[in-house]
Amino acid sequence: MAEQLINGQVIEACQQGDRDAFQCLFEAYKDKVFSIAVYSSGGDRALAEDVTQQVFLKLFTAIRQFRGDSEFTTWLYRLVVNACLDERRKRKRWLPWDSTQTTVAMNNVSEKKPQERQYARLEVAEAVRHAIEELKPKFRLPILLKYIEGLSYEEIAEVMGCSKGTVASRLNRGHSQLAKRLSHLNSPALWGE
Amino acid sequence: MFSKHVTKDISAYGHGELSTEASKQFAEHVLSCVRCRTKFEEIKLGIKLAEQLPQLTAPDSLWHEVESGLGRDEAPARVVSVRPGSSWRMRMAVAAMVLVALALGVWLYNSQPGPHSGSGKAWLVTRLGGTPKIGSESISSRGSLSVGEWLETDGSSRAQIAVGTIGSVEIDENTRVRLLETQPTEHRLELARGTMSAQIWAPPRLFFVDTPSAVAADLGCAYTLSVDDKGDGRLSVTSGWVALQAKERESIVPAGASCETRLGTGPGTPYFDDSTLEFQQALNKVDFDNDPVSRTTALKSMLDHSRKQDTLTLWHLLPRVNDSDRVLVYEKMEGFAAPPPGVTRDGVLKLDQNMLEIWRVSLEGGWILNGGGKGLPKGAGDKKSLKSWFDLKLKDSEKKK
Repeated sequence: MAEQLINGQVIEACQQGDRDAFQCLFEAYKDKVFSIAVYSSGGDRALAEDVTQQVFLKLFTAIRQFRGDSEFTTWLYRLVVNACLDERRKRKRWLPWDSTQTTVAMNNVSEKKPQERQYARLEVAEAVRHAIEELKPKFRLPILLKYIEGLSYEEIAEVMGCSKGTVASRLNRGHSQLAKRLSHLNSPALWGE
Repeated sequence: MFSKHVTKDISAYGHGELSTEASKQFAEHVLSCVRCRTKFEEIKLGIKLAEQLPQLTAPDSLWHEVESGLGRDEAPARVVSVRPGSSWRMRMAVAAMVLVALALGVWLYNSQPGPHSGSGKAWLVTRLGGTPKIGSESISSRGSLSVGEWLETDGSSRAQIAVGTIGSVEIDENTRVRLLETQPTEHRLELARGTMSAQIWAPPRLFFVDTPSAVAADLGCAYTLSVDDKGDGRLSVTSGWVALQAKERESIVPAGASCETRLGTGPGTPYFDDSTLEFQQALNKVDFDNDPVSRTTALKSMLDHSRKQDTLTLWHLLPRVNDSDRVLVYEKMEGFAAPPPGVTRDGVLKLDQNMLEIWRVSLEGGWILNGGGKGLPKGAGDKKSLKSWFDLKLKDSEKKK
């Protein structure tokens, strides 16, 4: 993965204010940060761009405080999670879902795939995004950190400031709620079984 | 059956976050507990759905906005290099990063069917003898098998694969296998030729093996699967159950039984290994002979050599033979075990799915005991446990419908 190119030297250079190094960092993490922001903001890409921008601006100054006590990624995602929660508090509630923006986003991700498969996957992904939007943040964020960022339970616990057991429990409840809301998608044909 | 419920561990199990020992205990409990099994199926669906969330791409313009924001903020305005020349190196790193990201994107696009499939996890391979190869590289003692990679043994080499935390697979000599998928909700190998023995401690339908003529779906078991150079195969189950599937045809094979598969035809009919040679030879013709007259003759011979426990074979044959032969099979079965209440001769001959399933469930106890009872959940000696075991088996078949 691109973020594997981020080593101690790059982080150290960022701490010294090197903008080229910071761009390096930005390139490595921008898509993941942006994805979490989109999913956390009800699919509002403009809002997600704002949140992503805020995260990286904050990162540029805050990185000087990074002491390497934890993994850089967990430290970064803590910033992302806090930014998303702050944004939510500011707006009190999520903005309405914009289906046009969603479709565009999905098409960007999946273009050039075989048509039928792409269509089925878009339908499922669209439904999943809606269902995830409806989850409470405490269930949604572990799911995003697991499936978008690929973090382990231990890393998610560190980002969210809770125990591994709590992460397991919240993921369980999140999965369960997704399954209940989308039980109509439990078709072997849809999953190619 | 009386062990603690494991519903709180289901996601952790699916994500490989439990230790091997905890995974074993989890699987054992799920196999015997209907409540946890039902919850497991629900959360498994939730995991499958969550895996469909794609990572999005940030717009290209975002860096310019961040960069202009940096100018306005109180962030350090001065660029301080770590040491002379490092800024130049950083520029090169940025360029490299973009290229890597691009290449990665192309690779992901070309190699993955879904946004999160092929999680990039590798399976640990241990050399058991000789010099097995992963791709073109020989394994000295241990290696790792990634999605898409082939593991191959020659006439003098053997290897063992650890299937995440859910089991292990031994690869015999002259065998070629490929890892197709390793996800919380599905682990899949392809056996192109040779022989492999799997021991899986997982809830049903998590571990699959694709062969040229059928797919073996694990139902919580241990088994040996072999494929010859023509693509034909043979499955022998030593514990639990395995479903052998191809298109519409499915054979459910319990411990102590085997099943042949043929390229183009799919799985044949399962039979107990202790059935007579005459029975097995006749069954082979019933399954794979192209001549209908020869098949009917073989069927009669097979019925003559059948025993009470061979209802395993007879039940599977009911939908696979023609109407007149079906009457012969039914009458033989009826002689061994009268159909349970609610199952009628007329319904069976018309292949009423519900009646066939009820009859199957009523016969399964005998099939399990014939296989030595291996694969039954711990403590299944009591009637309550056996009933719940059968209940969940029945639930499986209802789901498939």
